[in-house]
Amino acid sequence: MDTIANDFTINIATANGTGSQSANLILLQSLFDMGVPVSGKNLFPSNISGLPTWYIVRLSDDGYQAPGDRTHIQVLVNKATWAEDLAALEPGSVVVWNMDSKMPMDREDVVSYPVPMTKLARSLSPKLAKLVTNIVYVGALAEILGITDEALHKAVAGQFKGKASAIELNKTALELGRNHARENFTKSDPYVVESRAIEKQRFFMEGNEAVALGCIFGGVQLLAWYPITPSSSLAEGIIGWLPRLRTNDEGESTCAVIQAEDELAAAGMVLGAGWAGGRGMTATSGPGISLMQEFIGLAYFAEIPSVFWDVNRVGPSTGLPTRTQQSDISMLYEGSHGDTQHIVIIPGTIEECFEFGWRAFDISERYQTPVFGLSDLDLGMNRWACEGFTYPDTPMDRGKTIRDQDVFDAMENFGRYRDLDGDGIPYRTLPGSGMAPILYRGTGHNPDGVYSEKPEDYFALMKRLKDKINGARDNLPEPLLREEVEGDVGVIYYGSMENTIQEIDDILEDTGLKVSQCRVRSLPIHSEVEAFIRRHRMTIVLEINRDGQLWGILRRELPNDIVGKVHSVAYSDGMPPRARIYAEKILETIKGVSQ
Amino acid sequence: MSDKPARAIKLNVINEPKDSYKGGPSSLCPGCGHDQISNVVINAAWENGIKPHRIAKMSGIGCSSKTPAYYLGQSHGFNTVHGRMPSVTTGAYTINKDLLYLGVSGDGDSASIGIGQLIHAIRRNMDMVYIVENNGVYGLTKGQYSATADIGSKKKKGKANETQPIDLCALAINLGCTFVARSFSGSKKQLTSLLKAAMSHKGFALIDVISPCVTFNNNDESMRSYQYVKENEITLHMADYIPHFEPMAEVEVPEGHFTDITLHDGSTIRLETISDTHDPSDSMAALTALHEAEVEKKHVTGLLYFDANKPSLAEDLGLVETPLLDVSDDDLRPSEEMLDTINKEFLNV
Repeated sequence: MDTIANDFTINIATANGTGSQSANLILLQSLFDMGVPVSGKNLFPSNISGLPTWYIVRLSDDGYQAPGDRTHIQVLVNKATWAEDLAALEPGSVVVWNMDSKMPMDREDVVSYPVPMTKLARSLSPKLAKLVTNIVYVGALAEILGITDEALHKAVAGQFKGKASAIELNKTALELGRNHARENFTKSDPYVVESRAIEKQRFFMEGNEAVALGCIFGGVQLLAWYPITPSSSLAEGIIGWLPRLRTNDEGESTCAVIQAEDELAAAGMVLGAGWAGGRGMTATSGPGISLMQEFIGLAYFAEIPSVFWDVNRVGPSTGLPTRTQQSDISMLYEGSHGDTQHIVIIPGTIEECFEFGWRAFDISERYQTPVFGLSDLDLGMNRWACEGFTYPDTPMDRGKTIRDQDVFDAMENFGRYRDLDGDGIPYRTLPGSGMAPILYRGTGHNPDGVYSEKPEDYFALMKRLKDKINGARDNLPEPLLREEVEGDVGVIYYGSMENTIQEIDDILEDTGLKVSQCRVRSLPIHSEVEAFIRRHRMTIVLEINRDGQLWGILRRELPNDIVGKVHSVAYSDGMPPRARIYAEKILETIKGVSQ
Repeated sequence: MSDKPARAIKLNVINEPKDSYKGGPSSLCPGCGHDQISNVVINAAWENGIKPHRIAKMSGIGCSSKTPAYYLGQSHGFNTVHGRMPSVTTGAYTINKDLLYLGVSGDGDSASIGIGQLIHAIRRNMDMVYIVENNGVYGLTKGQYSATADIGSKKKKGKANETQPIDLCALAINLGCTFVARSFSGSKKQLTSLLKAAMSHKGFALIDVISPCVTFNNNDESMRSYQYVKENEITLHMADYIPHFEPMAEVEVPEGHFTDITLHDGSTIRLETISDTHDPSDSMAALTALHEAEVEKKHVTGLLYFDANKPSLAEDLGLVETPLLDVSDDDLRPSEEMLDTINKEFLNV
């Protein structure tokens, strides 16, 4: 039989709360340590214990990170989804299944590897059998696929840092699974794991943790947050780093942390910090941003620096709380009532999660306006490969904040909201300074910050705010372009779609279509995006949502003569994007336009 | 031109004239209780010798929340959004804990839309003064009952209120608030003493001030009219405030029984017994007094409850001594070497 090396997908079906995540991460990490390009997607339920969960491991020498089109190897542990998972398999698939589950294995057209997972686990530790069961299937998979003990043991050691008994238990469990496979199975499937030379050292990390570390290096001074999936690990990441990176020998910290009573209060605290001259932030998801709308408008209108990280999950409403989507971008860009417009920065890699983590504060203080970091569950909570982090290349930008009486005295015509430099950005003084005190307000105000209902004051204020945000456009993270010389179709995408774009591109190229790519990394739209659209006959905006939200923003803001060149491909079913679905939709759209 | 010699301008302990503590002209209805409270704020801050620019004026939305424009013109302030002043104040406090946070709110702002934030600021023992200008009605929207309207009380238009009111003082005592007082905008002396004491307190100081709405709720059938409160006020004690900079020896000793309470900054609040002694460290006695007054349709005023021993938010946060505002950028951003080390740890090299 011909072998298929490093080009298949493993789907592991377990129940939530059984410890399978730990086993799955050991599998993922050991493949990674063997140099195999691999990605893992955790499809977990909104539940602590009992509901079905799947973990998808994709091995791809081509470097594809998205879940593939189909499952090649199915691990069956969960009785609840057993029949459905089994029925979905294509003929010739491999099934590694728990023969102690008393569930039928009634497919003749698959390669069957029964493993007495529960019995083996109980033989090792009756008390921890449930947990150990998961490690047993990793051991069996290792034997079937050719994963080395060296890689497994390294991953186990990394997972249970310093806990000798846990390491020993897991190693033994792996051995039980491996021995069972060696003694009972004759390899009758084509799938193998082959080590690859590691050209560049990389490591796995979740986006949330990278943003957290970035915020620490951005000098965050207040984290005010309310727990919500999938952003909690971002806030907890910051809390985790504080003792080491932001705490003195006396145990005193330079960053306050408050778990607020709700998202409204969290946003209010962030504004309070910004008003007082500090760097405040919150981390939340769409439902939290919905609750924060009132404060977002205040921050925009009163011009208060404030940083909001949104780890997007599936909406609307409570939606699918543990699934991924790119559906908050319109809400962030135009948050709160009245005419508003906000800066949004959108990382698409772990390295960018770190960079945008610190940069958000600089942008927010520079423009005295709320800044949104837009991540999503896929980027935030799945492990992505990372080459390491780059130290900020600029000192902290504290913006036009006057802290020195001499500087203030030398200024002419100061007014809190007066545009002295023609860039729409006024100067500010801070509470406690005694310099030009005003009563900040969410009501209309004149350039001196005094309440005003005069038409000319209101109009001028709204125009200046528009100019200010427009002025930020080309100082925000620029789009990343990969252009085909002969390409006449451009694809615009953003955020975690970065994980899937290469595979989409290759599927399209197999049909003879070469497309250019433009990854948008900020709003308002950089002028390079318009130029990209102009250089192409047609452009497709690719998004993980229903309505094509970025496409809508582009249609409204682009000059009339090119609006017609921009088309939407938007699709979302809660799953991390699968390349083929989007590639086919792109082809359909191109066909529709050409007709 | 007057021939009279210029009168020496009276200065406070830090040599500031009272004018330094004044604000802009009020746009509230003439006779509004809130304006009386604004004057008390000006007097209290002046007499306490607080540097005006070291005060932060905080408010939400409503008639009461407009008042920061009418006092302390040299202080920065933030007229935030409805019911959310506590959270903004909390955030500002984490960055600059050395300012005196003076919040002013109303009964709609505090007992309805903002009750959650009020409760949680109390729970954290956030270091601030929180004045509720409580008139039982929504003024800015023209006279709807608020959640503090007394049962049986009738505003100028419409039916009497029959919905159980929320007593913010009882709520605060139950939550373990460390300084709980009630007063009346017409009781200038008592209110001034209580406000000064609140400014000297470390932790959350709530002063619920009955402040009649002359436009919508000052009629005879109202239990929050000037007339009604004057006739039905039960004063727990006479309150005198002795600032820390005034030598105690020079203060006249009252004839009757009194209790001195030492405040965080070394100042004293002296509570002189009127009939029965009220012990402000006894939360049950305070709740009983509130309950009895409610049954009798009276308003009890004075320092209801006080606790100097509870840690405040500052202790919980565990921050460096310097206000975070003054921590240098270099101390906020870890070094490049540290990031190198972290990268190496992750890369396992």
